[in-house]
Amino acid sequence: MAGLYVHVPFCGSICSYCHFARTARHDPALRRRVVGAVVRELVLRQQRCAILSGGRRRLATAYVGGGTPSQLEPELIVELLAGTVGRLPAAADLEFTVEANPETLTADLAAAWRAAGVNRVSLGVQSLDPGVLRLLGRRCEPAAARRALDLACRTFARVSADWILGPGLARDRLLAELDEALDRGVEHLSLYILELHPGTALAAAVAAGRVRLAADGATEALYLACIEHLARRGFEQYEVSNFARPGRESRHNQAYWQGRPYLGLGPSASGFWGRRRYTNTADLAAYLAQVEAGAVPEAVTDPLDRAARRLEALVLPLRTRAGLPLRRLPRGALDLAQGEREGLWTIAGDCLRLTGRGYLRIDTIEARLAAAAG
Amino acid sequence: MQDARNFCIIAHIDHGKSTLADRLLEYTGTVTGKDLKEQVLDSMDLEKERGITIKSHPIRMAYRRPGGAQFVLNLIDTPGHVDFHYEVSRSLAACEGALLVVDAVQGVQAQTINNLYLALEHDLEIIPVINKIDLAAARTEFVTEQFVDLMGCDPDQILLVSAKTGQGVPELLEAICDRVPAPAGDPDAPAQALIFDSVFDSYVGAVAYVRMFDGRIAHRDVVRLCRGGDTYEVQELGWFRLARIPQKVLAAGEVGYIATGAKDVRNVRVGDTITLRDRPCAAPLPGYAVAKPMVFSGLYPTDNDDYDDLLDALQKLQLNDASLTWVKETSAALGFGFRCGFLGLLHMEIVQERLEREYDLDLICTLPNVEYEVLYRSGELVRVENPALLPGEREIAEIREPIVHASVITPKEYVGAVIQITLERRGVQTKMVYLDVERVNLEFDLPLSELVVDYYDKLKSVSRGYASLDYEYRRHQADNLVRLDLLINGDPVDALTCIVHRDNAYSWGLKLCQKLKELIPRQMFQVAIQAAIGTRVLARTTVKPFRKNVTAKCYGGDITRKRKLLEKQKEGKRRMKQVGSVEIPQEAFLAVLRVER
Repeated sequence: MAGLYVHVPFCGSICSYCHFARTARHDPALRRRVVGAVVRELVLRQQRCAILSGGRRRLATAYVGGGTPSQLEPELIVELLAGTVGRLPAAADLEFTVEANPETLTADLAAAWRAAGVNRVSLGVQSLDPGVLRLLGRRCEPAAARRALDLACRTFARVSADWILGPGLARDRLLAELDEALDRGVEHLSLYILELHPGTALAAAVAAGRVRLAADGATEALYLACIEHLARRGFEQYEVSNFARPGRESRHNQAYWQGRPYLGLGPSASGFWGRRRYTNTADLAAYLAQVEAGAVPEAVTDPLDRAARRLEALVLPLRTRAGLPLRRLPRGALDLAQGEREGLWTIAGDCLRLTGRGYLRIDTIEARLAAAAG
Repeated sequence: MQDARNFCIIAHIDHGKSTLADRLLEYTGTVTGKDLKEQVLDSMDLEKERGITIKSHPIRMAYRRPGGAQFVLNLIDTPGHVDFHYEVSRSLAACEGALLVVDAVQGVQAQTINNLYLALEHDLEIIPVINKIDLAAARTEFVTEQFVDLMGCDPDQILLVSAKTGQGVPELLEAICDRVPAPAGDPDAPAQALIFDSVFDSYVGAVAYVRMFDGRIAHRDVVRLCRGGDTYEVQELGWFRLARIPQKVLAAGEVGYIATGAKDVRNVRVGDTITLRDRPCAAPLPGYAVAKPMVFSGLYPTDNDDYDDLLDALQKLQLNDASLTWVKETSAALGFGFRCGFLGLLHMEIVQERLEREYDLDLICTLPNVEYEVLYRSGELVRVENPALLPGEREIAEIREPIVHASVITPKEYVGAVIQITLERRGVQTKMVYLDVERVNLEFDLPLSELVVDYYDKLKSVSRGYASLDYEYRRHQADNLVRLDLLINGDPVDALTCIVHRDNAYSWGLKLCQKLKELIPRQMFQVAIQAAIGTRVLARTTVKPFRKNVTAKCYGGDITRKRKLLEKQKEGKRRMKQVGSVEIPQEAFLAVLRVER
C-alpha cells in the first residue's frame, strides 16, 4: 500500500506568510500545460519503475495539495485526477483528499470533485477573524469561509480545516472559532503555529516593525489551551499539529510519520520510493522543461543509508500519539524521570509520548536524540 | 680556536633579532640565492607567523675579515620570551659574547634589562646594538642614552644597525671578531660538552646541541651524560649550517651537535654535560636544573574518541620539548584528558595551538592555574595542580600560592593604570624607578595565579601596548585562598573549579554565573547555575528552558530537510559537553578567562 501526493502550484493571490512553491500568475493555457506535465511525470516514473508500471502496489491514500488545487477549473482537475490517481490501482477504501481555499470552492467544483472520487476535503480556513485574515494576506472574508465550510460538509463525508495560531487572536475568540468549525461538521483540524520564513512579506513586515506578532509565551499558552479544549470536544491530538475525532485521522499524513512509501508528482513535490527520498524542482519553468523533454524532474535525490533510516525512525514517531518505543531510545539520550516530572512526556506501554508541553520543545528533544544516536 | 667566536643575540620580541640573524647569514655568505628568505632560522610555521623564536637555532658562519683573516662565527639564536628563560640561560652559557639588540623606536624593554642581567651573570662580552635606525620614528640618541645609563658603556661602543637595509652590519661583524673573546678551553683535557638544547630526529634519535668546553669527542666515541648517567655511542656529530653537516670530531671551543641515538629527548636534558665514558671529566659543568612547569591546564579532546590521538600528539610534541609535562586526568565534566604543565602562558598557547594545527585536534582547555602547596591540619604538605583535587576546607590548615617578582616597564603616563590593575590582582609594589624622563620601571610581587589569567592582556590594553612585562618565580606564600565550585543543576563541574582569594570569591562567583548564563543555551529543562564555597552558595542564576520551538509542519516534503538539519546540528553538538542533562558549549569552559573584574 502506498500514498500519492500531487502538487498544484497555482494560487489566486500570495498569502503573506507562505513559502511554498506557488504562483499567482497563471492563465488557462499554463494551467493546462502544467496538468499535462504532471500526468506525463507519472508516465515517466512508471517507465522507470516496474512496481509502478506493474500496478503491484495499491494506493491507500491520495492527496492533492498546493498551492490551491481549487484554482483548477473542474474539467482540468478531473483530467489531472484521471491522469494520476486514476492510472494507479486503488484500494477499495481509498482516502482521497483535495485541498481548497474557501473563497474558490463552489458547488459546481465540489460536485465535480466528488464525481471524480474525492471523498475528503481540507479547507484552508486559517481564521474567521477579519483582522487576522488581513494580516495573513488571505483574500477570504469570514462569511465566505463559513459558506465554504457548510458546502464542504454537505458535499463530503470527511472535512478537515486548517487554522493558524500566533497572529494574536485572544484565547476565547480562537476557541470559539474552533467550536464553530466543529459545530459546522468538521471532523479534523490542523493547527499550525505561525512560522516566519525569510523572504515572505510577513517576515519583512515584522522585521520592519509594521506588524507585531504575539509573544512566544502567549502562543505557547494558546497552543496548550487549544489541545485541552479540543480534547474536551472529543478531538484527540494525534500529532504535533493534528487533531481528529477518533478514527477520522488523516491516513495520508500518518503514512509520512510511519515511514511508508509515497509518490510525489508536480513541481516541488517529494516522494519516498525505493529506499530513497526525492524532491522535484520547485521552479515551474524548469519543471515543465524537464518533463516535456522526457526527464524525471528531480532536484534532490536522497538515498537513505542505515544512519538516516535510524534517525528518521527516532524523530518521526516522536511527533505522533503512538510515541517512540523506548527500545529505540539511544542510551543516555534523555533524562526520562526529569521529563516526566516536568510534564514533557509520559511513559506508558514501553513508549515515550510527548505531551503538549513536550511538543513545544520537540526541536530541542529531537536534536538531543539525534546527537545521542551518534 | 683563536679565530672562532661564539655569540648569541638577545632582544625583546619584535626588536628585529631574527632579521638581524638573516642579515649576518647573508653578509657572511652562509645563505645565498634561493635560501635567502625571511627569518631563515625560525623554521616552524608558528615561529614565522608570530614572529617569535621558540627553539634555539645555532648556525656556523665562515667570515673573511677585510684584512683576509678567516674567522668562524657561531651564532646561537635564542628564544626571546620569558617562558623560555631557562633555554636562554643555557644558550648564554654556551657563548662568550652577546649582541643585546634594542629597537630604535621602542627603546629598552623589561626583557632587555633581564636579558642584560642574565648575560652579565654569565660573564659575557656584551655588544649593545640599536636596530631599526632606518625608521623615520627612530630615536637613536635617546636609546643611546638609555644604553649608557643601563650599562655604563661608552656611546661609541654602541653599534647602530638597520637589519632591514643592512646598514651597519659589516661594522657589527668586525665588532664581533674584535670584541668577543676567543673561546678558552683545553683540547687535550677530558671532554666536557654543555647541552644547550635538544631535538628529536626520527632517523638518529635525540640530538644534543652542544658547546664543547674542553677536550674532543669523535664519531663512534662512547659518551656519558654526567647527570642523566646514560651512555651512548655517538651516531653522528658535526656543525650547523642550515642543515646539520657531519664531521669526524668536535673539539674544545666548537659549537655543534651530537646525535646519541637516545629514543627520548628527556634522556638528553638541556643543561647536562656530555663527557667520554672511558675518560670522564671530573665534574659536570654548572647550571643544570630541570625546567619546572609553572602553569597548568587540563587538555581534553572535544570528542572523546580523539583521546588516543591527543595522547599520541602529546608524546610526539614531548620528543622535542622536554619542558612539556603531562599526567592523565579524568574530569566528570570533560571525560578523559591530560593535566599539562607549561613553562608559562606563551608556552601553553604554543602547545595548544600546535596540537590543534599540526595534529588537527579539537580541544577544550581549562582555565590555566598554578601549583599550590596545601598544608593539611595533619601537618602533611601536598602539591596541588588541579583545583578540583583540593580537599575539603576543614582538612586544610593553609594554602600557599606561587608568588612571582614582576617587572614592568611603561611610559610614565600609564603608571597609575598599571599600578591599579596590579593592585587589583593582589600585587604588592616593591620598587619604582625612572629609567629616563619617559620610562618607569615598576616592580611588583604578584601571585602567579593572578598573572596567568589576564594580566598581560590587561597590561597591554591599559598601556596601549607600550608596557612590557617580565617575571620570575620567587616563593610560595600563604594567603586566604578558597576553592570556588561551579555547580550546574547541583552537580559541581570540576573543569570550572578555581581557587580564588576569599575577598574576591563573591564577586567572582557572581560574574562567573552571569557569564555562564550568557553562554549556556536554553535547553529542554531549566538549568540552575550556582557558585559555592563548600556547601555555601554565593551566587545563583538560571537559564530558563526553551520556549516555543515547535516545527509545526512535517509532511512528505519536510522530512529530508528536517533530517539534514538534525545531522548538521549534530556536528554542532560535538562542540558541546554533556554535564548531567545539560549541554555546555566549549566556550563556557573558558568563560572564567573572560570574566571582567
